[in-house]
Amino acid sequence: MGVLEVRGLRKSFGGVTAVNDVSLTLDAGRIYGLIGPNGSGKTTLFNCITGLERSEGGSVTLGGTRIDGWKPHQIARRGVGRTFQVIRVFPELTALENLLVVTRGPRAMAEARAQELLRFVKLERLAGEYAGNLSYGQQKLVEFVRVLMTDPALILLDEPAAGVNRTLLNDLLEAVGRLRDRGKTVLLVEHDMKVVMGLCETVFVLDHGEKIAEGPPGRIQADERVIEAYFGR
Amino acid sequence: MKALALVALGLLLAAAIVYPVFGSGYGVRSVLQIFMWIALAGSWNVISGLTGYVSFGHVAFFGAGAYTGAILIATAGWPWPLAAAAGGLGAVVLAVVIGYPCLRLKGPYFAIAMLGLNEVLRALVSYFEGLTGGGNGLSLPTLDATRHIYYVMGALAAVVTGGAYLIVTSRFGLRLMTIREDEVAAEAMGIDTFHHKLLAFVLSSIGPGVAGALTARDQGYIEPISVFPLAITVTMIVMALFGGKGTVWGPVLGAVALFVVQEIVWARYPYVHPLLFGAIIVAVVLLMPRGVLGLLQVRYRLPRTI
Repeated sequence: MGVLEVRGLRKSFGGVTAVNDVSLTLDAGRIYGLIGPNGSGKTTLFNCITGLERSEGGSVTLGGTRIDGWKPHQIARRGVGRTFQVIRVFPELTALENLLVVTRGPRAMAEARAQELLRFVKLERLAGEYAGNLSYGQQKLVEFVRVLMTDPALILLDEPAAGVNRTLLNDLLEAVGRLRDRGKTVLLVEHDMKVVMGLCETVFVLDHGEKIAEGPPGRIQADERVIEAYFGR
Repeated sequence: MKALALVALGLLLAAAIVYPVFGSGYGVRSVLQIFMWIALAGSWNVISGLTGYVSFGHVAFFGAGAYTGAILIATAGWPWPLAAAAGGLGAVVLAVVIGYPCLRLKGPYFAIAMLGLNEVLRALVSYFEGLTGGGNGLSLPTLDATRHIYYVMGALAAVVTGGAYLIVTSRFGLRLMTIREDEVAAEAMGIDTFHHKLLAFVLSSIGPGVAGALTARDQGYIEPISVFPLAITVTMIVMALFGGKGTVWGPVLGAVALFVVQEIVWARYPYVHPLLFGAIIVAVVLLMPRGVLGLLQVRYRLPRTI
């Protein structure tokens, strides 16, 4: 039994089937990749898992509990954190407030943890700056550490590498690796194949809303259906 | 700096407390009205300034409080301080009933729904003549309590402002702001946006409810058009916008500044007054959308205590 079990998930918009009968199982302490051409349903799948979209069929089970149909905040409180493909920091809150706002419990502890995470991504000097004034890459980092504030068991990252410079990216990927070592489960959507191949133990491939392949990166790269999906026949 | 601010605040409070002892009737009544506007603009700020859900019908709570209080005084013979509390409670009940469906609407739809609510309430009050006197209005027994009401309204303004301070400087306040900033992201980060909005909405209804009941008592006579006018909503919005929405002291600054300007202009050029308010709205939205304190806060990185 995995941390997250997705069974026969379906979602369509009008006549377009965005996610069609997708099943996947994520085990604790592993990093998974989710790849596929543009419009293959990766973000919709993320949205169905996190409750931002309501799926039309199938089930999503988190740690043994069905969560499909739950509200996004309920799923988040249950231990699912995510970032967005298009950055969604709170622009008129400071970097520090962006982290603080998602916490509960003693404020002093939350502030200490927020400072620590900002130091980790080398943004401690910008803690008091409005998030909207930060650069694209810096906002991306704020969004990433904001997810870590609540210490979720399952972390969904939508294109974490896009727009982040190489040095920072390495730190970020190292952080993802450490999360895995602490027993967290990570599912990431990524177009940067180097990142996917270097980090993920298992890769799922979507095309036109359907899962067409699943396996270790090496095998996926050689899979004919995957090559066909990306480059055409 | 902090000590200086506290001293200034203490002096202002002391001045407000002793003022009725020597102030003229007109002066006391004017300060009483400033208190009322601080309570109204500060309350509107809690729902609209923080969550970004613009309430275009906030005067509905003022009117509901006014009628609740007036009916209890006129027909049940309640003492006015108790009736004022009941006015606040009446507004809270209305906020829960209205907030439940309306806060599920997004941005502009919520604004329009609130506008409609106010019109519906005004029509209802006119219709149920037996209780409300209908279009003829409702007269209260004569009582000169202006100086007492002055203190209660002053306390209300202080409580609203103090409450705003506590909210804005807390994580609850930050969570309300995330709804304004990005409601979807707020949900995805585990914030129950609907119940946060509802709580903010209910909190923002108390001040107007109590202020409505106090005003009804002070004026001794209310009618549908006097307690449900769109102009009251517009005025509290303009005050909060001018001073700085989403800040603690913005609505206070806006209420004092615009009330004083309004009194001066109104006394001299009664017909220019609506024109002036329109001009202020346009100027603020175009030149200074954050308002005076909002602008200073962003430019000089001032803390949320501003």
